[in-house]
Amino acid sequence: MISDEALMLEFQGGSRPAFEEVFARYREPLYGFFRRRLTNRERAEDLTQEAFIVVIRATVRYQPKALFRTYLYSIALNLLAAERRKLARTAPAANEVIENAADEVLWVREALQKLEPSDREILMLREYEQLSYAEIAELLRIPINTVRSRLFRSRLALKCHLEPEREGVKC
Amino acid sequence: MLTNHLIEQEELMAYLDGELGTDRASAAATHLEGCQECQRLAADFRDLSQQLTSWHVEQSSPALTNHIAAEMGKYLSQPRGKFAFLARRQAWAWAGGLSVAAFVVAILIQPRSTPQYEKIDFARARNPLPLQIRDSKANTFFDEVRARNPMIARTTQLTIAVKDFAKTRPIVDEILKRHGGYLGQSNISSPVDSGPVLEAMLRVPSDQLDTAMAELKALGRVESESQTGEEITQQYVDLEARLSNARNSEKRLTDLLRERTGKLADVLAVEKEIERVRGEIERMEAERKNFANRVDFATLNIKLFEESRAGLQVPGSLSYRLRNAAVEGYRTTVESVTGAASFLLAYGPSVLFWTSVLFFPVRLVWRRLRHHLLHSL
Repeated sequence: MISDEALMLEFQGGSRPAFEEVFARYREPLYGFFRRRLTNRERAEDLTQEAFIVVIRATVRYQPKALFRTYLYSIALNLLAAERRKLARTAPAANEVIENAADEVLWVREALQKLEPSDREILMLREYEQLSYAEIAELLRIPINTVRSRLFRSRLALKCHLEPEREGVKC
Repeated sequence: MLTNHLIEQEELMAYLDGELGTDRASAAATHLEGCQECQRLAADFRDLSQQLTSWHVEQSSPALTNHIAAEMGKYLSQPRGKFAFLARRQAWAWAGGLSVAAFVVAILIQPRSTPQYEKIDFARARNPLPLQIRDSKANTFFDEVRARNPMIARTTQLTIAVKDFAKTRPIVDEILKRHGGYLGQSNISSPVDSGPVLEAMLRVPSDQLDTAMAELKALGRVESESQTGEEITQQYVDLEARLSNARNSEKRLTDLLRERTGKLADVLAVEKEIERVRGEIERMEAERKNFANRVDFATLNIKLFEESRAGLQVPGSLSYRLRNAAVEGYRTTVESVTGAASFLLAYGPSVLFWTSVLFFPVRLVWRRLRHHLLHSL
């Protein structure tokens, strides 16, 4: 399989199929990234589109210094941060309305919400985006050991939130 | 709580995530095989991951493909190559913004124009070597004047505190008379809270200046003294040359008028020209006299005052002072309002102009910069 970086270099050279392949690879993961972090589906789609547009417009300057995946998620994180700032300015935090979600999913989402924001982000990047410790460290600009310890802490905390009766302790 | 394990809990988690180095990974695998507690923890982590993956997200909208396809088309239609950047709008926006900024900076830092003649005169007067006088005759004259005696206009400032002003004042006049000087300007004042003050400009023959000053200084305690000397030789020589030229012009015009005949209008024009040249000659002669006077007579600015005394008058009443304060307040208010209005009228149009010129380029640059910062790594 051709690497993401090689595909981007081909697209830089004018190959349309190269970027179509990149888009196909990351379209759903990136949408999932935004969708799990935002309540509004339309905004998640808008931001997914915007992230790809940023990549396309910056293609002329693209250099494969890091993994393309890291590059893409760094753009996504920046867009997400801007969106959250905008939401914080425009409207107070509202309770999330979850439609047609299974009980298990609701339980997971609520448990995730109880985590510290930074711990939650690390856990989600690991579990949903399947990023390595090194990629998470690079994205969040923190040491890799910090990623490991926070991930461990958040997993224990999440386990506690999901199964409080089993743990028998207050989380 | 896990205790007495060969590997830490975090390491076990890293091993399960495939993030542990080879050495530690084999140790972790060996330990995990024989440790039930760690097996439970590993099972918990795996279970946790499974629970998390139950949160599925619906598929994205197909419309997303269309938008991205359109954007890809735009990118692919852009020119490529070494000078492709010239075809991009951002490059021109940056170039335009920078040009405008450079233009504004150039306007702001350009040197203020100063009267050139002053610089030239000073430079010439100080340094005889590079002098470029208009003709050799004047040059020779200048050298002669310099060699004979440089023309120096001396100015002295003297501040003296005396014990008895009334007795001292006539002595000043006497000293001035004895040295052949004269009073250029004089002012006597009596401030409310101190003794009388004499401020005068004395003109003393240059060769008598030092003696006269010594005598004046003996009148009391010298508070300050300063002397300056300005060499005006070059200015004098220039003036002489211009005066000579003007006289020649006058002579030629007079000869012309006497020897030639012509129309009345021509005659009148020549007479008018003679009149103008004559006026110039008279002005230059007066200036020359002034130069000579400045050299022959030094200027001695003297300030003579009585040593401090107790206040001669009691301060005004409270109502009087309050009234004065109110008047002063009104005056400063009016002045500040007038000043603000003057400032707005003087600088407002140019500020508005530059704001309108720079607003869009700066906004464009700012948006690009913000966009770049937001989306770059």
